[in-house]
Amino acid sequence: MFKKKDMIFMAVILLLAAGMALIMHYSQKGSGEIVRIMIDGREYGSYSMKENQTIEIRNESGFNRIVIEDGSVHMEEADCPDQYCVKHMAITKTNETIVCLPHKLVVEVHAEIKENDIDSVSQ
Amino acid sequence: MKIGWKKVAASLVLVGVVAAMVCFLQEENKSTTRSLFAMDTYMEITAYGRNSENAVEAAVDEIERLDALLSTGSAASEITMLNQNKTAVVSEDSAYLLRRSMELWKSTGGAFDITIYPVMKSWGFAGDTFRVPTDQELKRLLDFVDSSQIAYDEETKTVVLPEQVEIDFGGIAKGYTSARVSQIMEEYHIKSAKLNLGGNVQTVGTKADGSLWRIAIKSPDDTFPYLGVISVEDKAVITSGGYERYFEENGIIYHHIIDPKNGKPAQNGLVSVTIVCEDGTLADGLSTALYVMGKDDAITYWKAHKNEFDAVLFDDTGMLYVTEGLEGSFMSELEYEIVSEN
Repeated sequence: MFKKKDMIFMAVILLLAAGMALIMHYSQKGSGEIVRIMIDGREYGSYSMKENQTIEIRNESGFNRIVIEDGSVHMEEADCPDQYCVKHMAITKTNETIVCLPHKLVVEVHAEIKENDIDSVSQ
Repeated sequence: MKIGWKKVAASLVLVGVVAAMVCFLQEENKSTTRSLFAMDTYMEITAYGRNSENAVEAAVDEIERLDALLSTGSAASEITMLNQNKTAVVSEDSAYLLRRSMELWKSTGGAFDITIYPVMKSWGFAGDTFRVPTDQELKRLLDFVDSSQIAYDEETKTVVLPEQVEIDFGGIAKGYTSARVSQIMEEYHIKSAKLNLGGNVQTVGTKADGSLWRIAIKSPDDTFPYLGVISVEDKAVITSGGYERYFEENGIIYHHIIDPKNGKPAQNGLVSVTIVCEDGTLADGLSTALYVMGKDDAITYWKAHKNEFDAVLFDDTGMLYVTEGLEGSFMSELEYEIVSEN
């Protein structure tokens, strides 16, 4: 009951579906290196690691100035009492974070996973 | 070209089947990450697999439950009530932590002591306002830093504290929490998960691809990023360092790891201690205790308990010591010495 033409038609549809699935699969990862800023567990914004930029955040908790510069991120300024985030050295690798605990603000690096990357930092 | 509806329908069914298969495979590779602020720190949990969402949800609930139960910072917690009323019938969790704390207090010769809490408060490490207590004040407080003064009846789970004694599980609670979360991951059949509870790392299984987790140890000094990287599976990797919490007064840095012997920030030559073992509770307690002990005593302690844990010690002369169980899984650009039994 299926003719050759039908078989070809179905094969084309299947190939298209598989192609779509592959595109969907790969578009989910591999978006390149990004810096993600989270405030109180919610994403505030994502920024390209490749673009030098300054992000200033002022809200009810206080003020933070985050600087992305030549592939690394650091906390340039913050008005939190402990200043641990400002003293934290610049981060560059996936899964590295700078936490400003008093402001519940977290800066994280996300990137494509490379072989020598780390999964977490014990401190 | 004429195509019958039946055949179009058959094609659509086929597409549906393929889509379902793709979804199924993606579910298998799915991961769930949640971050939260609890226990005075920032926490991140990631689990992999079909059930990861439920598992992570349950983990967050457990963390919040333990935080409310154990925190000395919250007025209504079991521990706050115990410190106030001097007696309480405690929960299973507190009973377990008390038992483990007493074991650690004994085995470490008092380097780990939950009755240090009044001293922590006098330094301001329990709150936000740091200060340097006078020697006289510390001397007075040290009279009540002594875990032997805790009376505990295992059968009725009743704890009684003398008037001036207060306890805090802060040196062990995060490790216990990570151990509890690992159990939850197991209950949800999660084969791969990682937790970072304010720098306390616990891994469950291996990475989703079967390879080992690579856990970096932060350098205490910000001139270079890491002391090294440890490859592990199913292990807690917990580090204590004075750099985590400290304040400066008149040019002197005072950190938060207090030596129960003199009530002052421990200065016995170590600047960072990492413990690697399966049991998060043990790893958390020992990272503090070995930091307080100093290098020589820490190594002596390890030799007597080498089946229970491994350690990475970094001292104030820049020397790095790694116990022999980590040989092959520890990597560093720094020079290090392998510590073996002999």
